[in-house]
Amino acid sequence: MSTGKILPIADAAETWRYTRGLLARHRAPLVVITVANTVAAVAGLVGPLVLGKLVDAVIDGTTVEVARNLVLVAAAAVVLQALITRFAQRRAMVFGETVFADMREEFVETVTALPLSTVETAGTGDLIARTTRDVGRIQNAVRFGVPRLVIAVVTLVLTVVMSMIVSPLVALGMFVGVPVLVTVARWYLKRATPAYQRESAAYARLDGTVTESVEGARTIDALRIGRRRTTRGDEDLHEAFEAELGTLNLRTVLFPGVDFAFMLAPITVLVWGAFLASEGTVTIGMVATVVMYAYQLQGPIWELIFWLDEIQVAATSLSRIIGVRLVPADRTAGDAVPVDEEVRGVDVRYAYRAGTDVLHGIDLDLRVGERLAIVGPSGSGKSTLGRMLAGIHPPTGGTVKVGGVPLVDLPLEDLRKHVALVTQEHHVFVGSLAENLRLAKIDAGDDELMDALRAVDAHGWVESLDDGLATEVGSGGYKLTPAQAQQIALARLVLLDPHTLVLDEATSLLDPRAARHLERSLNAVLEGRTVVAIAHRLHTAHDADRVAVLDGGRITEIGPHDELVAAGGEYAKLWHSWQHE
Amino acid sequence: MSVVLRTVLVVRSLPLADPGTPPLRGPLTLLLWLARKQVRVLLVAMLFGVVGFTCSAFQPFFLGRIIDSASASGLDRTTWSWAGLMLGVGLVWIAANAIGHRWDIAAWMQAAFRTSQLVTRTVSRSGHNITKELPTGEVVSSVANDTMRIGEIFGIAAQTIGSIATYGIVVVLMLNQSFTLGLVIALGLPVVAAILALLVKPLQKRQKEQRDAQGRLTTLGADTVSGLRVLRGIGGEKVFTGRYRTQSQKVRQTGVDVAGTQSVLDALQILLPGLFIALVVYLGAVEAIAGRITTGQLVAFYGYASFLSWPVHLLVQSVNVVTKAHVAAGKVIKVLQVVPATGADASTAEMPPADVPLVDETSGVTLRPGRVVALVSADPDESADVAIRMGRFDDAGEVGTPVTLGGVRLAELDKDELRERIVVADATPSLFSGRLAGELDVRDSANAEALLRAMHIADAHDVLDSLPDGIDGEIPEKGRSLSGGQRQRVALARALLTDPEILMLIEPTSAVDAHTEARIAQRLTDWRRGRTTLIVTASPLVLDHVDDVIFLEDGSVVTHGTHRELLDLPTTAEGGREAARYRRVVGRSLDDDLDLELDELLDTANAQEGGTA
Repeated sequence: MSTGKILPIADAAETWRYTRGLLARHRAPLVVITVANTVAAVAGLVGPLVLGKLVDAVIDGTTVEVARNLVLVAAAAVVLQALITRFAQRRAMVFGETVFADMREEFVETVTALPLSTVETAGTGDLIARTTRDVGRIQNAVRFGVPRLVIAVVTLVLTVVMSMIVSPLVALGMFVGVPVLVTVARWYLKRATPAYQRESAAYARLDGTVTESVEGARTIDALRIGRRRTTRGDEDLHEAFEAELGTLNLRTVLFPGVDFAFMLAPITVLVWGAFLASEGTVTIGMVATVVMYAYQLQGPIWELIFWLDEIQVAATSLSRIIGVRLVPADRTAGDAVPVDEEVRGVDVRYAYRAGTDVLHGIDLDLRVGERLAIVGPSGSGKSTLGRMLAGIHPPTGGTVKVGGVPLVDLPLEDLRKHVALVTQEHHVFVGSLAENLRLAKIDAGDDELMDALRAVDAHGWVESLDDGLATEVGSGGYKLTPAQAQQIALARLVLLDPHTLVLDEATSLLDPRAARHLERSLNAVLEGRTVVAIAHRLHTAHDADRVAVLDGGRITEIGPHDELVAAGGEYAKLWHSWQHE
Repeated sequence: MSVVLRTVLVVRSLPLADPGTPPLRGPLTLLLWLARKQVRVLLVAMLFGVVGFTCSAFQPFFLGRIIDSASASGLDRTTWSWAGLMLGVGLVWIAANAIGHRWDIAAWMQAAFRTSQLVTRTVSRSGHNITKELPTGEVVSSVANDTMRIGEIFGIAAQTIGSIATYGIVVVLMLNQSFTLGLVIALGLPVVAAILALLVKPLQKRQKEQRDAQGRLTTLGADTVSGLRVLRGIGGEKVFTGRYRTQSQKVRQTGVDVAGTQSVLDALQILLPGLFIALVVYLGAVEAIAGRITTGQLVAFYGYASFLSWPVHLLVQSVNVVTKAHVAAGKVIKVLQVVPATGADASTAEMPPADVPLVDETSGVTLRPGRVVALVSADPDESADVAIRMGRFDDAGEVGTPVTLGGVRLAELDKDELRERIVVADATPSLFSGRLAGELDVRDSANAEALLRAMHIADAHDVLDSLPDGIDGEIPEKGRSLSGGQRQRVALARALLTDPEILMLIEPTSAVDAHTEARIAQRLTDWRRGRTTLIVTASPLVLDHVDDVIFLEDGSVVTHGTHRELLDLPTTAEGGREAARYRRVVGRSLDDDLDLELDELLDTANAQEGGTA
């Protein structure tokens, strides 16, 4: 249930549609950089042209003054090319930065709007990988690849066109390397993507191993498994080596192939040009110009191969990023308004996999203001039932309604004001304490925040901090203890103020003493709310108005603590062993 | 031939069996040590670099000869033979280039991987000192980035040296044909390279700013996703996307700054060599018009001048690579300098025999051989600290709090042997990714039956069910797919499988439900019965099963006895006040206003006990 396979991956057509849309949105700057680079590329073609003219002039006999003027033209072209490059390159890079910023912002917005049920079941691993690794992988392609590709294509086309203008006949010689080039490049590009992906997977694994080793340093020491961890690191490095060798072998074919094509072109132009020149069809100067163009083609072609390769790799990451957009909504909000605060589950069923129900038709009415504890062994469906009652998942059978309206028909903003779920997961967000609290109520003033903290007994330690509410917490900031983090989570609930709360083992990961302390502050805070507490500490159950015992997806016992103890069932047995009687 | 081919094509397999022990005096020393360690690879790479570049430097020369021959006599024998020569030398160039690239990568990998090995070895033996001294991110980044940066020096070295050698050859070739031109090239190129190199520093600074901003953005993104369940549960998505957007735009702005500098560098790389070529061509044309050189040589000069942008480019690139590698080496050294928390010095005492008591002299906690004992304290941190101390995790920090095994201080013993005898399982032990069976059996000694028995004792069968391949299933990084309770039970099974003489478990059941805890308490104590075991806990379900309970207050043992004895001891009896305080700790609340209720409860319980007895 917590595997990461739940998030879709976009297919090629979808990826392409997205890319086209993205480029269309940024059409204006794209046109500007293409035009600017065209001018720069044209200026870059002047050099060889001048060389050819000079050669012809020298052969025909000329003056130093003519030569100087020709060279001055070339020098002016160089200055022009440099100036435009400065402008065009800058625009191209800014374009890449802007497009990429757009993409990542849109992605994070999509992620934060994912359906509740997807977020709960997909696990965060896959999403984190998409947010960090995949976004990281497309960044080079978007920031540099796209602009570079534009420049390379423009330069390539113009150089060929210019060669044809100088002498279509001589220029024919340039194409002699094309079959070799195309064959080798295709061979390479077909194999490059998986090979480079294997490479980055290997390095990701190595990073993972090191992260684990650092974070588990104490455990490694305690269990004396340092040597195992070293071996694991060496295995990862060996896999990285093998992967590197794979791409290296591909390049060992690509490089000589492309180099051969590159070398063949100028030699052919020279020999062919020598023949044509002796026939009087062309001048030696034209041959010199085209030879230099043949050399100048090498740069853009290498860029093209390199970036096509990178862009192929990026495309797979892009498909995973776009995939997140394809998660279908798990509910459509209606406009019915609950008539009261009564939460009622009727014949609630749920199956993670079709056909294997985890909950077998549970009927449960919450009495307004009551404290209901749900106990039961691991895997009995406690948490799943909790999620149904909080409207996280639409049940696969039956309904959960509040005031007569199915929870999943409520707009999210409204749902949260009715029922909220607190899990054992407590996450401290990077930012100030105040920001962490205001998640629940954006417009809450500092006084309101302090009141909420007071309600959960947390105002003491918050006030004692130098920066108080403005203290930066979360990764890299002031480190909160698990109990403090949980208190912040509880204070948020106070701010959110729902009439019904589902606590899913909200305090189970704390040490026993902190848990007792917290639950007591909870008692004070939750006064007047309907509370469903999924518990594994029996004193929670003891304090509740009613206890429901869940086993195998069915409620086997339900009633006040004392009655259940008196009834002598499973619950009574457990309670007695806990009370060491 | 095939032997030769194999020798030049084969890349030595990595990682190395022994990465060696580097000097840690400074970044430069480390880099030089690395170079010395792979001097052969570097020399071969350089050989191919020089051969390759030399061959390509001769291309303009042949070009000029062909032009001359063609303008003199068209496509005749001379033209053909020059073309043939050009092709032949070109083929050598292509081969040298391809093979040289393999050696460049070999050199790069060996330096990068050797450094990675050094880091992983340091991390594996550092104990908690690594996290105490450096943030996790920095250590990971030293492998993910810094080792790669270090490798790049060795990857680019051969090319750079080859291109500089070629630069010399070209200068000689040109000096032969025209002294002025040769001089212009000899002096002009270094000037161009120097000017361009000046821009490297500011560019790197801006790139670093962008990387830092990017790093913060990635953290923010990952943080939002990590907390997504919480976020989706209570709202506040808008706040977060807003923050992400702000930081994202900051990154964009730093990128725009980089673009400013980068585009200047790009433009200068066109302007300076371009003007340089123009100058060479002008001077060449003057010579040609005067008849001192041929037109072919003029074309060749153009070719030389363009070719020389390569050495310039590589030199600028090298300045970039070297500065980055120097910084990276400094960061790696910081990691390598971390001293292991325990066992950094050799042992000074003989290992005491089996079945001797383990004593924490500070608190007075004594583990007698063969007893299953629980340690209880009003402050759970305090009892956990005692257990950790008794496991020896910090030689420097534990100087003032001696723990002895059979009268010998733990710090004086051989650490490996000690870890074999004493195993402490932390309150929050880490799981590592890998095959479940392998991750459980860290001593590589258990059979399938023992594995399943340990999983049974830890009541972790549901973990086997949740993995597609059961005991052979893969656990993902940090055991992320398991719930908190599942992780704790797997870690417990792992600790049990080490089957040490002395086992200490800190809060082994804090994250499991009461049903499960009851089962684990029973099975665990049965399994360890007769072998020295310490469990730090305040849970009655566990306390009920141990041989002896030690009660700690303010860091010292105040009383001990069986759970039952301590529960039953009247407050007025000797040690009764301590027992009462114990009851308060293991009872259901510590809070003052509940104490009365608690006392009543205890009294009732006692009365009932008395009644039934």
